[in-house]
Amino acid sequence: MIKKELELLVALQDLDMMISDISEVKRLGFEAEGEDNLLKAREELISKISKSLLYSYEKLKKHYKRAIVPVKEDNTCLGCFIKLPTSLSTKGRADSEVIYCEGCGRILYWL
Amino acid sequence: MKAQELLKYFNEDLFILDVKAKNKDELLAELVDRFVEKSYIKKSDIVLEMLTQREKLGSTGIGKGIAIPHGRTTSASEVMIAFARSKDGIDYEAIDSKPVHLVFMIIAPPQDENNMYLPILGKIVEILNKSKNRKTLLSIESFVEFIDFLAEA
Ligand SMILES: [Zn+2]
Repeated sequence: MIKKELELLVALQDLDMMISDISEVKRLGFEAEGEDNLLKAREELISKISKSLLYSYEKLKKHYKRAIVPVKEDNTCLGCFIKLPTSLSTKGRADSEVIYCEGCGRILYWL
Repeated sequence: MKAQELLKYFNEDLFILDVKAKNKDELLAELVDRFVEKSYIKKSDIVLEMLTQREKLGSTGIGKGIAIPHGRTTSASEVMIAFARSKDGIDYEAIDSKPVHLVFMIIAPPQDENNMYLPILGKIVEILNKSKNRKTLLSIESFVEFIDFLAEA
């Protein structure tokens, strides 16, 4: 069960990527007719995320395509490849607050 | 894309010749747990949620005893593929309602450098469409044999 807001946002981005891949996946021969189910799941997720965080997500998505980027073990942002300070990673690894990359401004998700 | 190019996405850590799972939920959980156990991903619930949503779009049990659960997730940094086999068969709610014996689970990052995710997915479908290949995969006994198979597929 996903509870933390950042994790809900990650689940939202995963869902958005899935929705945008539908036509490609169909072209490869997969059955993918249940788009309505995904849109419903999306609505449910959105209802659990604060409006301000959703606003940054949508704004970043317009600019970058992916609003949230993974951070590798060595603290590299996989969006812009800068090395993040260790002070940030301690907070980041706890997944309890939303942290933006100092380099590209995207939301960070520590792996 | 050539089958040999797939080699680098496989790892013995993610190769299971005899899965315990008997149904789709158990299988997805067993494989995702393996990714976590071997430290390829941090937490299982986000990936499991993504794969479960994917099944709501349509079963990735594409028939002929094959399932290819797949998706991009923000909780991965590279493309990873797990192979699993079930001798008894898994109740996967496949499109032809037949039990699943061969599983390729493909987990991809939100963005990968050369956008390899969809070509990889397509290549695996292509390989599994050939009955000769399915037969070989049902009979291999080790990861080395599996790699030899891919190198020649
Ligand atoms: Zn960055």
